Amino acid sequence: MSAIFPLAFASQEVSLLTAVVLGFLFGFTLERAGFGNARKLAGQFYLHDMTVFKVMFSAILVAMVGIYGFAALGWLDMSLLWINPTFIWAQLVGGFLLGAGFIISGLCPGTAVVSAVSGRLDAVVTFVGVFLGTLLFAVTVDVFPWLERLYDAGSLGTSLLPDLFGIPAPLLALLVVLGAGLAFLGAEKVERMFAGRYAAVENSPTVRPRLKFVVPGALALLAIGATVAPSPRPRPIIPEFETISAGDVARRLIAREPGLLVLDTRPAADTANAGLPGAQRAALDSSTVPLLTNLAAGQLVVLYDGGGKLTTLPAGWPVGPRYAVLAGGLAAWREQVLAPAAPRDASLAERERVAEQNQLAAYFSGATVAAPSAAAPPPAAAGGGGAKKKKAGGC
Amino acid sequence: MKPRAYWNPYFAGVVLGLVLLATFMVAAQGLGASAFPKRLIALWASGVDADWTARNVALGSYVADGAFPLRNWLFVEVIGVMLGGFLGALSAGRFRVTVEKGPRISVRARLGYALAGGTIMGFAAGLARGCTSGQALSGGATLATGSWLFMLMVFGGGYAVAWFVRRQWV
Repeated sequence: MSAIFPLAFASQEVSLLTAVVLGFLFGFTLERAGFGNARKLAGQFYLHDMTVFKVMFSAILVAMVGIYGFAALGWLDMSLLWINPTFIWAQLVGGFLLGAGFIISGLCPGTAVVSAVSGRLDAVVTFVGVFLGTLLFAVTVDVFPWLERLYDAGSLGTSLLPDLFGIPAPLLALLVVLGAGLAFLGAEKVERMFAGRYAAVENSPTVRPRLKFVVPGALALLAIGATVAPSPRPRPIIPEFETISAGDVARRLIAREPGLLVLDTRPAADTANAGLPGAQRAALDSSTVPLLTNLAAGQLVVLYDGGGKLTTLPAGWPVGPRYAVLAGGLAAWREQVLAPAAPRDASLAERERVAEQNQLAAYFSGATVAAPSAAAPPPAAAGGGGAKKKKAGGC
Repeated sequence: MKPRAYWNPYFAGVVLGLVLLATFMVAAQGLGASAFPKRLIALWASGVDADWTARNVALGSYVADGAFPLRNWLFVEVIGVMLGGFLGALSAGRFRVTVEKGPRISVRARLGYALAGGTIMGFAAGLARGCTSGQALSGGATLATGSWLFMLMVFGGGYAVAWFVRRQWV
């Protein structure tokens, strides 16, 4: 049975338009719920204002019943939905830290956005902090191996509670609804108990009212500007070089692109790793010029070295051919084509990419030193990814 | 002008749930927020060092195969959140340039806490692969195991630390 949902858009522009509309409704609803106010959000953790819990769990119940209900009716194909993969330890530790940051800042990343565009300077500062923290994680996960191990620890892939507990999804959904109902009753009771203890949330005095439109305006402009800005090209190693990805080279080799010339420019002594199939060793000096002189104009010449550190086009090389440097060099080839890493963040887009890379790896491994002309490799399996999966990523 | 009252929390929750459900039906994924800083950082980092960014565990997938990290559903969605939140606050008479804080703390100290808390959250959202929106809310609605663990720990972390920062709020 083919389900109607999720909708598949032919055009990415239309899909992004739905993102603006649904994001608008998301932001508007959060604002109306009171989530643009850090004091109101913080009330959750001092028990006198349980709005966070009530709104969040009502929303989860409605969406959960909708998703599993529509899936049961055959209207929604759940296998096409992006489900957050489970990494037990990363999510336990990350969740605890996020909760700590939540009460320290009074906001979470999403509500910080809403609060910032409501004019709250504390939210602007919080959001700046989120940027710093994002960068901090990206850098530290690169530096500390233990952090990378924690990031991947306890991976269960796509794991759903009904499967984990062996309970049919409708029954588990019913249990969640009943449990949340009881929790709502408890939240009302707790709220009444603590209501008189602290001052009710009122707006703090206004400071610098002239900034009224500056903060959210600047934020929105920054975002829109960043989105419509032209895509920056990968930084060229020197201006006349373009770069080419390992996957692209691999596909061209599979297709036996006529005339394709692949030059291994590593020092002759560097034989630690076998080069690309069919590559010719070439020194970066005038001794290589005879190889290049009879090429058609615009003929692709792929150059690579050990680790993508190629910086100069040697003097005297003809300008007719189209030179492209293998991005990341032989190291990238080995990493991406011969031995692709398992997906770290198993978003569907990533899984699709790695699956394709694994096809390439299956083709090239074992045939890495044979020139295509000498020992013709077996015809490649159908290129490209498998079934078209939905994109995803991020938070 | 007296601001318009907040919605009843259960009503707001139902509306939010319908928006989230519509998002899954239309976009095959949930709502998010921390993708916004992550993707902007990825864009900036790829300008500084493209190779490092492509290999980075946290950022690499955003720039895979030369993709432009901001051309993404979640990123554009957060721009919608900004517009919706802004117009929501404006139409409710709640737009005010101010600092939200309890009565017992200075503005400067409050902003210090905000920066520290935000930094911790940015780190945490990187480690947990999402924040309250993308993990707890969206993942929770799909009954994803890790998202529920995450959500429980968010409340746990909040209650564990609340006592230490109470001067800021109450």
